[in-house]
Amino acid sequence: MNALINWLDNRTGFRELMHEALYERVPGGARWRYVWGSTLVFTFTLQMITGFMLWSAYSPSTRTAWESVYYIQNEMFIGYIIRGLHHYAAQAMVVLMAIHLVQVVIDGAYKAPREMNFWLGIVLMMIVLGLSLTGYLLPWDQKGYYATQVTTNIMSATPVVGAEVQKLAQGGSDYGHLTLTRFFAMHAGILPAMLVAFLTLHIYVFRRHGLKVHDAKHAPDTTFWPDQVLKDAVACLAVLAVVLMLAILRPAELSAPADPAVKFDAARPEWYFLFLFRFLRFHAVEALGLTFGAIIVPGIIMGILTIMPITAQVLGEWGHRLNKAFIWLMATAIAVLTGMAFYEDANDRGHQAALAEAHRDGQRAIELASGPDKIPVDGAVSLLRRDPYTQGPRLFAQHCAACHRFNGHTGRGTLVMEMNAEKVPVIGAPTAADLGTFGKREWMTGIVTDYSNHFAWLKNAKWHQDAKAKSAAGESVEFIDPDGSEMADWTSGNVESLKSAENADNVKALVEFLAAEAGHAGTDFDAALIEQGRKLATEGIWAGALNGTSCKQCHETIGDAFPAQPTDEGASGYPTMAKYGSAAWLKDFIRNPGAARHYGAKNQMTASTPEKLTDTDLDLLVRWMTGNHTASTVPDYPSQMEAVNAAISK
Amino acid sequence: MTSSPSSSDASPTAADGHAPLAPRRSVLVHLVTAVLSFVIVTIPATLGGLFFLDPILRKRKDAEAGGKSGEVSRKDEKGFIRLNLTRDSIPADGTPVPVTVLDDIVDAWNRFKNVPAGSIWLRKLGDGPILAFNSTCPHLGCSVDFRPAEQDFFCPCHTSAFALDGKKTNDVPPRDMDGLEVSMRTNGADDPGGQEIWVRYQKFRGATAEKIAV
Repeated sequence: MNALINWLDNRTGFRELMHEALYERVPGGARWRYVWGSTLVFTFTLQMITGFMLWSAYSPSTRTAWESVYYIQNEMFIGYIIRGLHHYAAQAMVVLMAIHLVQVVIDGAYKAPREMNFWLGIVLMMIVLGLSLTGYLLPWDQKGYYATQVTTNIMSATPVVGAEVQKLAQGGSDYGHLTLTRFFAMHAGILPAMLVAFLTLHIYVFRRHGLKVHDAKHAPDTTFWPDQVLKDAVACLAVLAVVLMLAILRPAELSAPADPAVKFDAARPEWYFLFLFRFLRFHAVEALGLTFGAIIVPGIIMGILTIMPITAQVLGEWGHRLNKAFIWLMATAIAVLTGMAFYEDANDRGHQAALAEAHRDGQRAIELASGPDKIPVDGAVSLLRRDPYTQGPRLFAQHCAACHRFNGHTGRGTLVMEMNAEKVPVIGAPTAADLGTFGKREWMTGIVTDYSNHFAWLKNAKWHQDAKAKSAAGESVEFIDPDGSEMADWTSGNVESLKSAENADNVKALVEFLAAEAGHAGTDFDAALIEQGRKLATEGIWAGALNGTSCKQCHETIGDAFPAQPTDEGASGYPTMAKYGSAAWLKDFIRNPGAARHYGAKNQMTASTPEKLTDTDLDLLVRWMTGNHTASTVPDYPSQMEAVNAAISK
Repeated sequence: MTSSPSSSDASPTAADGHAPLAPRRSVLVHLVTAVLSFVIVTIPATLGGLFFLDPILRKRKDAEAGGKSGEVSRKDEKGFIRLNLTRDSIPADGTPVPVTVLDDIVDAWNRFKNVPAGSIWLRKLGDGPILAFNSTCPHLGCSVDFRPAEQDFFCPCHTSAFALDGKKTNDVPPRDMDGLEVSMRTNGADDPGGQEIWVRYQKFRGATAEKIAV
């Protein structure tokens, strides 16, 4: 063994190299405060290992980037751990770098003769920030896509060459395949190579000047090995433990596949850039222009940092104090701005709703991609575009939520706000029915037993109030009146019989029949009850006072199939109940609410013609409303009914 | 004191005017440091290595992932795929015809539906059965051609040669050509006299004497 080592040493001189590497003198003894540089080298090594592994499975193009990251995260062996480690170690690196920098400034380790090393450190910092920035885009999810858009737009604010810089970064005038290939080349090739080169220089120069000793009398001198290495290793182990724990307990998020056509209201930079984001949101900063806030100010800060060694050289001890004051000022400002950004976002209802939706979309995309058909060749983005569960709420918010609500919200979890007389935003009152339970048993129960209340929302509408006033003035107006229609008279006139014990089963049966006619997916119906309900609807065999009153007496088509080519032939002035609430009925109703077969002259709902709502969109909307889509375990938008009811009751 | 470059021969025992060095550390400290240093590098390296072994270690294979495709496939439960030609369209004199097999291909995160998955040779022996061979050479995976003059199958890469019944005729290939199960059907139901040709398309490992499906 010894002979072999001697042979190797003769030829390589590795003993001397090891000696030099390990027996660096540590005056004043090993200290915990010297571990930061080593943790940074370790974290970078961790990034290299996990990065190369991710590289082995990552595919940079707009139709495969999200898909391959999804695959790494959800299908590959311990893929989520590798990606999680890379994700969190990147953030750890930024934190460790900040600590390292602050310490270097406070201890005066930037002063002569270590100026070069300080500047090398600044370059390394820029490279690490560049790595974070380029890495953020690579999953090609909504979060990375829109956050990086902001960055490349900031680049375009560079004086003189802005447009060219942006084009170079993007690989063209817009985002596409080449943006990913270029960012990937930067992230996995050019920047890491530069980092290795500058890190080598950094460590070489560091060794040349030795450690900047904090207190030489702290303890007897020692050597790097084993005393300082032990402390370094423990610190590195702690870093590893933290990132590993985070990777396992809070897996790195993958939001929905990037879609330039889908707005992303939850866009935020990675948390360590939030201070800059918040800084740019000050009106005073905005007023001075993007170039000022995003380029000139950060440039000045970097400039002050860079000339720190010169400041200390020229101004002596006062220069050092000035530098220390500056670094503390920066640290405080960054902490305050970051805190502000977090606090404001946490209290911003709109942002929270956008975050919830981003989470829902992301989870849904993963759910669909895991399905039997996997991901189509045109990419995961098409999975969401064709998914009623994703598109339905958006279409509802766009086309229906001006009057209707869905469980109190717009369909997308947000409340409809309006300005009151005092110009204060308040929750707006719906002027049409809340469709959260549309076509389901609850809905049918409301119609059958409590019609006036069920459609009471309509009374908030201006047209209703106008019509009511005209009607009171003796004018003859046709309008839907929840309090005064024949249907309202039937339910309120028979309220005792409807609520009586002898009709309890009958009401249940009728509701079952009506809900089964609507036939929304995901409900199990009771065949015997349906038959009983059908008899009640068509023949009116009730107990007590209700006996002899059937739905069919007015709604002649109840129980019939909904015609493929609906016409107004035979319309009796009562809305058709043929498959009321079903997909076929709903599609026809949305297109022609004012047809005689529906509400006729009483109708107030705007018809959604194909020019406003395409057939594809109508289909998506109706499939969502009738539950006809791939089932989902992703939590839906939470109900806002309580908030709305509380606001209305005020 | 640290402003001067540290000398390259600084050693645990050097005392060139510096404060005295701390006493040598016990073996235990050396050992603990060595183990810890090893551990912090080994953990990520091992995790990375395991990830790289995903094709071997993963439990859930792509082909099984998520069960059957939602759309109607041309493939039945036993893995037979209906070909786009009929029995009558194959020459009765035993001349092989090349046929492209369409199948659903699962490729990592994608599922390509009904796409060319491979090519096979079909032969009809008079009124007898239809023979099907995977056109991939069992030697090293090149494509086997039909040579009309020689009336044999021949692989131009390494000169593997096979008789028209698939038997190898030289020592280059490790085994005969890979025959595939054929099922004649009418409207999807077994019928030896039927016109529909269904083939159980499989790929086999190369360079082995044994025929092992992959």
